[in-house]
Amino acid sequence: MTEFRTVGKSEIKIDVKAKVTGRAVYAADINLPGTLHAKIVRCYEHAHAKVKSLDLSEAAKIPGVVKVFAPEDLTTKFYNQSVIDIMVSEDMRGMLGDIEDQKILTDHVKHYGDGIAAIVATTEEAAERAAERIKVEYEPLPVYLNATESSQDGAVQFTPQKPRNMAFELPEPAFPNNTLGWGDADEGFKEADIIVEDNFYTSKQKQAQMEPNSYIALYDDDGLLSCWTSTQMPKSVQPKIAKLFNLPMSRVRIIQTVVGGGFGARLGMVLEPHICALAMALPGHPIKVQSPREEDWLTSPSRHPGDYWMKMGFKKDGTPVACDAKFVNYKGGYYLDGSGVAFTTGGWVSGLYKFGALRYKGESYFTNQPVCGAYRGYGNPQTNFVLEQLVDRACHELKIDPVEWRKKWHKDVGDDGWCAGVPYASCALDEVLDEGAKAIDWKAKREKYAQQTGVKRRGVGVAVMVHTSGAMPMLLEHTVCTVRLNEDATAVVAFACSDMGQGSHTTLRQIAAETLGFPLEDVSLSVGDSNDAGYDIGAHASRTLYVGGGAVMAACKDALKQLLERAATMLEANPDDLEIEDKQIFVKGSPDRKVAASEICSGGVYPFLNPQTGAPDTIPGQILGYSSFNPMHNSPPFGACFVELEVDTETGEIKLIEMVNGHDIGRAINPAVVEGQLEGGAQQGLGMALTEELYFSTDGKVLNNTFTDYKMLGPSDMPKITNVIIENPDPHGPFGAKSVGEAGLVAPVGATANAIYNAIGIQITDLPITPEKILKALNEKHAA
Amino acid sequence: MSTRILTEFELLTPNTIPEALSILNEFRDNVIPIAGGTDVLVAMKFGFSTEYAMSISAIPDLDYLSFDPNKGLRIGANATISQILDSKAVKQHYPALWQSAKIFATPQIRNSATLIGNLLRASPAGDCSCAVYALGGSIVLVSQQGEREVDIDDLWISYQNTERRSDELAIELRIPAPEPAGRSAFKRLTRVNEDLAKLNVAVNLVMDGDKCTHARLAMGCVAPTPLRLRATEKLLIGQTLDGSVLKRVMASVKEEINPIDDQRSTAEYRKSVSGVFLRRAIEQACDIS
Ligand SMILES: Cc1cc2nc3c(=O)[nH]c(=O)nc-3n(C[C@H](O)[C@H](O)[C@H](O)COP(=O)(O)OP(=O)(O)OC[C@H]3O[C@@H](n4cnc5c(N)ncnc54)[C@H](O)[C@@H]3O)c2cc1C
Repeated sequence: MTEFRTVGKSEIKIDVKAKVTGRAVYAADINLPGTLHAKIVRCYEHAHAKVKSLDLSEAAKIPGVVKVFAPEDLTTKFYNQSVIDIMVSEDMRGMLGDIEDQKILTDHVKHYGDGIAAIVATTEEAAERAAERIKVEYEPLPVYLNATESSQDGAVQFTPQKPRNMAFELPEPAFPNNTLGWGDADEGFKEADIIVEDNFYTSKQKQAQMEPNSYIALYDDDGLLSCWTSTQMPKSVQPKIAKLFNLPMSRVRIIQTVVGGGFGARLGMVLEPHICALAMALPGHPIKVQSPREEDWLTSPSRHPGDYWMKMGFKKDGTPVACDAKFVNYKGGYYLDGSGVAFTTGGWVSGLYKFGALRYKGESYFTNQPVCGAYRGYGNPQTNFVLEQLVDRACHELKIDPVEWRKKWHKDVGDDGWCAGVPYASCALDEVLDEGAKAIDWKAKREKYAQQTGVKRRGVGVAVMVHTSGAMPMLLEHTVCTVRLNEDATAVVAFACSDMGQGSHTTLRQIAAETLGFPLEDVSLSVGDSNDAGYDIGAHASRTLYVGGGAVMAACKDALKQLLERAATMLEANPDDLEIEDKQIFVKGSPDRKVAASEICSGGVYPFLNPQTGAPDTIPGQILGYSSFNPMHNSPPFGACFVELEVDTETGEIKLIEMVNGHDIGRAINPAVVEGQLEGGAQQGLGMALTEELYFSTDGKVLNNTFTDYKMLGPSDMPKITNVIIENPDPHGPFGAKSVGEAGLVAPVGATANAIYNAIGIQITDLPITPEKILKALNEKHAA
Repeated sequence: MSTRILTEFELLTPNTIPEALSILNEFRDNVIPIAGGTDVLVAMKFGFSTEYAMSISAIPDLDYLSFDPNKGLRIGANATISQILDSKAVKQHYPALWQSAKIFATPQIRNSATLIGNLLRASPAGDCSCAVYALGGSIVLVSQQGEREVDIDDLWISYQNTERRSDELAIELRIPAPEPAGRSAFKRLTRVNEDLAKLNVAVNLVMDGDKCTHARLAMGCVAPTPLRLRATEKLLIGQTLDGSVLKRVMASVKEEINPIDDQRSTAEYRKSVSGVFLRRAIEQACDIS
């Protein structure tokens, strides 16, 4: 194996000290002189209503209030808070139709907590007091909390562009019969010996990232609009804000503050339009909004809940002859990236197994719920819950070991990936499954638990998944990187890739140091200000290490090439014959013919003219490496998760015992970071499986937008976790690396459900799987 | 909806009990006492407002926890849940109380929350409240009019309402001396470990050999206040705790409780696990497995 200098080492994350000492500066910590405070006034009376009248006069009288805003006092231009519109090609955009359906403030309330007015005051307190004085009269409208209700005849239309409130279905031109897949599923089912089929519901899960939403904006005397935000996508927010306010991009500056977690909640914009609009209305004043934690559940996008039906046919020997599936998601009040999850949910089905035929339909319908968008996994956890349970149901009927079935029927190198036309170039799922099964002692436990009696029943379950590294070819993948070599031969690497806590700045720095052949501490990063770096689509689709890493590598190679070319001139050698070690460049085989990198770099920065010759003594020009990188692949990583748990059959309670999370990483650039991603993902995946769900009263009010009642697993709820990381370098990824950002969340969902199935022989089809549901099912089974 | 602004109130911090009593006497319903504040401050973030708040944390000598084998346990108004957890006497003689402190919230909350605050919050989900109810005892209330001792059986009147008059300060909880053959246990069900209970139960039994001579059973989250299971208690007294008795007990508790659907669980679920749960608490107390 190649010897690496820093790749493969668990270097300490660069943000860790600032975070644990509390010194990291989040948007909420920034207080510019003269800051005014904004409050967005939200509708908490109704989930669906027209504003008949809005009286702001009493609010305006509160001491400290600077200005009050009704919808028409700010831009009433429609926009879309997601960035889907700038990620897809013109053709694809045409197929989506008009997807701009949001206004900064609205007079048509489409969900609990929709914004209807805004206040700017000298203190947060005055703004909040003023908000209490606003008088609103509403005309209530019928509330639709699922797709069936909102698509019925005569339902109130959310937007004229989308009849029957259908926000999206797979578009005919790209997906004949609005379906994704291959072969003839109806014919396939005719060959089946057994059919498994069921209806599932997947819940509305929230990222609940640690940092609540805070933003600052300033429209300064120079006509520059600056916005401080912890968005995951500064370079995508910049053109969106420019468009919304008719400004050239040169007049918009996005300063990314420390991102306190994203997981998709900060993919695109949340309150950036609001704070920028208020700043434009009050030029010269920094305006800050700090929205309470409870508002995060209402304003930033959640996972898509929905009804998921699936049917699969198998031959006696386990051959999966056909799969038919339909996911109908509840989009919430606005479109956002309405096309994304409706498509990818099927993509994850198509990418995993070699079905004889597959037919998938995906549809999105507006509902009177807070919006949905990206959440780590992007449709994959929903698919995992459904697909993996049905596979296990079939394995049970066919008496086939679930691990063996998966090893036999998963897609492999050369097979078409989650997006048709991009075949897999690497796959280590067999090894991941073998090692994982060994680590959890699969065979022995399955045998032992088949013989159980008694109140407490153990179960062990498996699920597998495939994800992606970046979203090409469906979405744009592009990152620009520059590498500037200082005169002492240290490097400044500039890019707009986001570190949301996932460790990407640390790992990208490792890639830079490794490529340049420099020690890690000789590489510093220039990040954060959208005007200081070239383009980067933003952190989504598990792309940052893969695409950003590709860009960093290419830019570093460019810088290195320039360095070697200059060394070659100085040493009168061929650049191909040179080597760099400890920042000394020497001719291979003759270590005495060498020049220090610092000599070249310094000579480039200080090219003094020789008084005798009139020419510079050194080769002039500071070295600047550059790349504008588009990946050629999406190198999907595979994963397998094993969960062992215990079900208390008298109370329905579940105790998590152990988890083995196996991952096909390609190459672990930083193993500790990989483990961190897997374990963090596991916590969210287990939470999705067991406790997390946003729920509503019948009139559409959100009942649990607080941590009192939105329950996430804490440290003491977590099982013992073993990570199995298999390194099988991918031909496309930087140093062979594939992604791990989202993957860790996915398979724990199916594995947990399957462990419960193994323990008690019951499959719960509604997420989350609560003791209440388990006990009810056990009682029904008992009665039957 | 929560707010980023605490409502305005005047904070009073008396240094002596008489000072506190005079404040309570003057402001009555317009003042709320604060011990650890872990209930009161959360309520304020969700809209509860008060003109005056009186913190008792500066009053010295109220943070005691003293045990006397003959007189029992005395717990001062400033004694925290952490103190209960640290007490060997509580662990040994009042396992139900100790177990309720053990699962209580997180270390940060346990360091400020008080036991008396838990009782006076009068929440049907209060964990230590449930344990104290089963153990029995009384709470000492003082006012400028004098002192009175209210039996724990009479403390809770209705949802979040107690026998305490607004001019009274609770200064002490008294729990009787442990019976030599006494056994107690506490258990709760939650959605995740760090959570408020969806169901809690505490039992306090006195055993003569394998016969039960005395029983106090309490259950939480099944009525507007913590509930004593008086009818079910009767089924235990004078009985050997065998399978058939436990079966009757399990059937009885279902009839005695009146739970509702809420954020944490359903009435149906609470009813269906109440019997099992009580049985397990009895088994835990008596080391039956
Ligand atoms: C994160 C979190 C987790 C929690 N977990 C749990 C849990 O697991 N189990 C549980 O049971 N509870 C839990 N609670 C609730 C709370 O911590 C308890 O009810 C606690 O015991 C209250 O004590 P305190 O001293 O903080 O009360 P405070 O908030 O100070 O007061 C509570 C009530 O008692 C009154 N009061 C307090 N002292 C006196 C006095 N001396 N005289 C007269 N009136 C008085 C107050 O006026 C108020 O009405 C939790 C709370 C939080 C915030």
